[in-house]
Amino acid sequence: MRMKLSVFFLVLGILIKIPPVFGQQTMVTGVVIERESGLPLPGANVFWEANREKGTVTDVDGRFSLSPELGLPQNLSITYLGFETIIRSIGPKDLNKELRFFLSAEAMSLDEIVISERSPDQNVKSMEIGKDKLPIATLKTIPALFGEVDLLRGLQLLPGVQSAGEGTTGLFVRGGSADQNLLQIDGAPVYNPSHFFGFFSVFNSDALENVDLYKGNIPAQYGGRLSSLIDVTFKEGNTEKLRGEGGIGTISSRLSLDGPLSDNSSYFLSARRTYADVFLRLSGDEDLNQNNLYFYDLSSKFMFRPSEKDKITFSTYFGRDFLGLSEQFGFGWQNFVNSLVWKRNINDRTYLDVSAYHSRYKYDLRFDDEDTGFRWDNTLSETGIRGELILMPRENLRINTGIHSQLYHFAAIDFRPDPNSAIEPIESNPRTGFQNNFFVAATFDLNSKTSMEAGLRLGLYQQIGRGIDYIYENDNPEPGGPILDTLSFNRFQTMKFYQGLEPRIALRYLFREDFSFKAAYNRNFQYVQVATNSSAGLPIDRWVPAGTYIKPIRSDQFSAGLFKNFQNNLWELSVEGYYKDFRNLIDLRQGANMLFTDNLETEILTGDGWAYGAEFLLRRNLGKTTGWLSYTYSRVFRKIEGISEGLPYNPRFDRPHDVAVVVTHEFNKRLSASVNFIYTTGVAVTFPKGTYEVDNQKLPVYGPLRNEDRFPDYHRMDASVNLKNREKGRKWKGSWNLSVYNLYGRKNPFSFQFTDILNDQINFDQSAGIPVESRRPGVVMTYLFSIVPAVSYNFTF
Amino acid sequence: MSKHLKYLIIALLALTACQEEVFLDLSRVDPITVIEATWTDNASMNQVRIIQSRDYYDTTAFTKIEDAKVSIFNEETGQEIEFAFFEPRKVYLPLNNQTAKIGERYRLVVETQEDVFEGSGTVLEPPTLDSITYEFKEERIFREEGYYVKVYGKIPFTEDNFYRVRVIKNDTLLNRRSDYLLFDDSFGTSILDNGFELSGFVFGQNDRVRLELFRLNREMFNYYNQLVSLIFNDGGLFSPPPQNPESNIKSVQNGSPVLGFFLTTPFVTASVTIDEQDE
Repeated sequence: MRMKLSVFFLVLGILIKIPPVFGQQTMVTGVVIERESGLPLPGANVFWEANREKGTVTDVDGRFSLSPELGLPQNLSITYLGFETIIRSIGPKDLNKELRFFLSAEAMSLDEIVISERSPDQNVKSMEIGKDKLPIATLKTIPALFGEVDLLRGLQLLPGVQSAGEGTTGLFVRGGSADQNLLQIDGAPVYNPSHFFGFFSVFNSDALENVDLYKGNIPAQYGGRLSSLIDVTFKEGNTEKLRGEGGIGTISSRLSLDGPLSDNSSYFLSARRTYADVFLRLSGDEDLNQNNLYFYDLSSKFMFRPSEKDKITFSTYFGRDFLGLSEQFGFGWQNFVNSLVWKRNINDRTYLDVSAYHSRYKYDLRFDDEDTGFRWDNTLSETGIRGELILMPRENLRINTGIHSQLYHFAAIDFRPDPNSAIEPIESNPRTGFQNNFFVAATFDLNSKTSMEAGLRLGLYQQIGRGIDYIYENDNPEPGGPILDTLSFNRFQTMKFYQGLEPRIALRYLFREDFSFKAAYNRNFQYVQVATNSSAGLPIDRWVPAGTYIKPIRSDQFSAGLFKNFQNNLWELSVEGYYKDFRNLIDLRQGANMLFTDNLETEILTGDGWAYGAEFLLRRNLGKTTGWLSYTYSRVFRKIEGISEGLPYNPRFDRPHDVAVVVTHEFNKRLSASVNFIYTTGVAVTFPKGTYEVDNQKLPVYGPLRNEDRFPDYHRMDASVNLKNREKGRKWKGSWNLSVYNLYGRKNPFSFQFTDILNDQINFDQSAGIPVESRRPGVVMTYLFSIVPAVSYNFTF
Repeated sequence: MSKHLKYLIIALLALTACQEEVFLDLSRVDPITVIEATWTDNASMNQVRIIQSRDYYDTTAFTKIEDAKVSIFNEETGQEIEFAFFEPRKVYLPLNNQTAKIGERYRLVVETQEDVFEGSGTVLEPPTLDSITYEFKEERIFREEGYYVKVYGKIPFTEDNFYRVRVIKNDTLLNRRSDYLLFDDSFGTSILDNGFELSGFVFGQNDRVRLELFRLNREMFNYYNQLVSLIFNDGGLFSPPPQNPESNIKSVQNGSPVLGFFLTTPFVTASVTIDEQDE
């Protein structure tokens, strides 16, 4: 431990021992703002007219700083595709203050300009490997199930991201399971990012500003999950005027408002709600109109600029699902996520980011019955504080260093029988984890062609009290085995300590301006995980923190790729390969009961895994026709003693071939259309190899090995048409979107049931009194969606 | 499933979800021996049935193994209880209608032409089953209108609390997948003290209701739970990977696979006839 700490601080010391040139204030700094919306414009090009090679790109807040190497005065040029170029003379008096530049859209430009912080050649020149960006404007053009624009479904179209089946938003990134993705909103984690049992993801797309998916090289500033970081930024309100955006869709409607609170503060508010239950209430049938089924979510972000150098944002998300049957049964779950971020521009080479967050997930279930009624709920939360210092001591050197403290709390299961119920309350204990992470990363040029990003993250984790540890015979937790002793721990008392060093290294070599090679190595530790044996996340899934019997899980990933742009960055082409090694993965014993037990460790099996793959992506970003073609070949293996005779097996989401084509074409200023096509190998499953009778039941016979069989290949095409209403010079602008999911009605299986077919009818009801005349073994396939059309009306004002 | 829930699911999902019969080209394994052995303190329950598994799509009758040597040994006394094949019922029955003794541990030994299989279990002390009452109830969620029975009794044990209730309605065992009633002491052992309603079973007037209560060994309780889980497993996203229920019988000679169970249990039963006059 001491040695690892020393190494960490040694590296930190080396990295920050750079000749200090802070405070000289010889930089030209400014912010670029879109004139119409008042929003900062990330990704704008800023350069000196006399020396076009010396330029920069505005950051996510529209800010830039540039050294006037040829002296002042000089003409500064600011360009952005679709906006009129600004050229302004900069003199010595312009130093030491933040300049503001307002860019106006070009008269001839496209109506909707995709604003991106990416520069056109960023994919080639940056250090990013295994990182994908899904512009929200692009996301909104992808045809969607029931017309509901869905972030996680959109991400499933990117290479290296798998789905476990139709109708689920769970992401399986480069061989990792769904709980190995860190999905964060403005830095705060979301523990169950799904609505309606996973059919929809929690985000209202109108509330999103930006989404980054890190699946290869996760910078050392981030950690906590093995397989990906999905970094979501909420929209900020503009500081100019009140604006609105919304839509009326097939299953939900949404409305967002944003505007100024003052000259230097703004708000953004967004809400979405489904209305299936409203229609149910209109039904004259009492069996229907007493039921409830809905979800809604509320998002907000407030921004304050107390000074030119400081910016504070406060983001909140609240989402709730509820299923109620006749006021006698109710089941709901909710996410409540809050994040407070303070960004300070200390000087033109030093920035400070400080954030605090609290994320809470809760489910509740109630059943009203005089004999067996109960209330059952459970809550988990993560609270954290994070500080990051960003230093740019010289051009082409950037250092990120900081600390991140996290407190995980998994409350005891609260199961309360009704007063007259014959059943007794459940007793379980809370589990709490406290984790401190220190990180440092440096990005620098080794020479004109080679750049490097080297980072180190140190995680110090402890399970702390209040809590209980059980002592088992031979330290071996077996189901039903004797418990020799029970150890109680007081609040904050250390129960178990783990630490892990996580090196993150990435290298980029530029063959030419438009052609590069990148490679990376990443180690990640994860200290909390979901204990489940089904592939889809359920609202009642149990998260477990590392402790005495459950070790943290670990991954090591090696990745390398070639990145090439063509025709002046019109086309992007990339080929990436990876190998990933997993340690201490968990799975459940057969018949494990995870919901109520306090002895989780007796239900768990531990083992290792590995995954490898190659990803190919061809993307066209500009012009009337945009989109991408991706192909991934990948394999995933697990090897866990007690499963599949201890031999390697494929988890359900091992789908070797995965193709996605996404194309959007703009016919004219009013009409555009999108088509996407998806093909993947069927999921890995276990089919019967025979049948037998026992205990008056006919059962399938399964072989000893897991997931040797496959569902049929999955493929689907979706299409959508977007038609904008004619421009009449009014503030209100409307558009219609017509989408068709599963255009050619492919019957993609959701499940296969192995059952006897009676009287040649798959749904024969024996209780109806009709005699059974024939019985034969059969297979019944369920598919969720045939052709699903949807229409929505969207508007802005 | 309640009518309410059906309506709701039909209204919301079945608009698009569909089912159809398909043919899958399934792989095959050699026939596996299936042993179903029940050993209780009640002579009418005791029997051993041995068959072989068959291909999934095979529609011929299951092959019965009729020439096995079947015995149960009392592990405390070493006494051997021999079984003989009884042709009319195609099962093996104990000679002289012998029965298990409460509190004793037994070992099943089955010798077939290919292998020798063994399993063991204890016949535990039974809980008390005092009486059964019934009551008419209106329709509500998860419950149809009709008569519901309540069981009164006492569970005085602090360990090995694993139970199965079998319901026999008018001499027919209810054996749909939803008819498995299994419980342990997760929710306490006072469940029978004030009457435990069998809320999943609805009866009509003049129905004869017989309940059979088994007190199981843990392995057998796990077997039944895994069996029920398998019957409900639809192979979809929300189901765990399907596996054969873990048998408490193992091969002791050639290591060949075996399916089925050796059930050792006390046998407790009580009956009632639903009579409107008594209501």
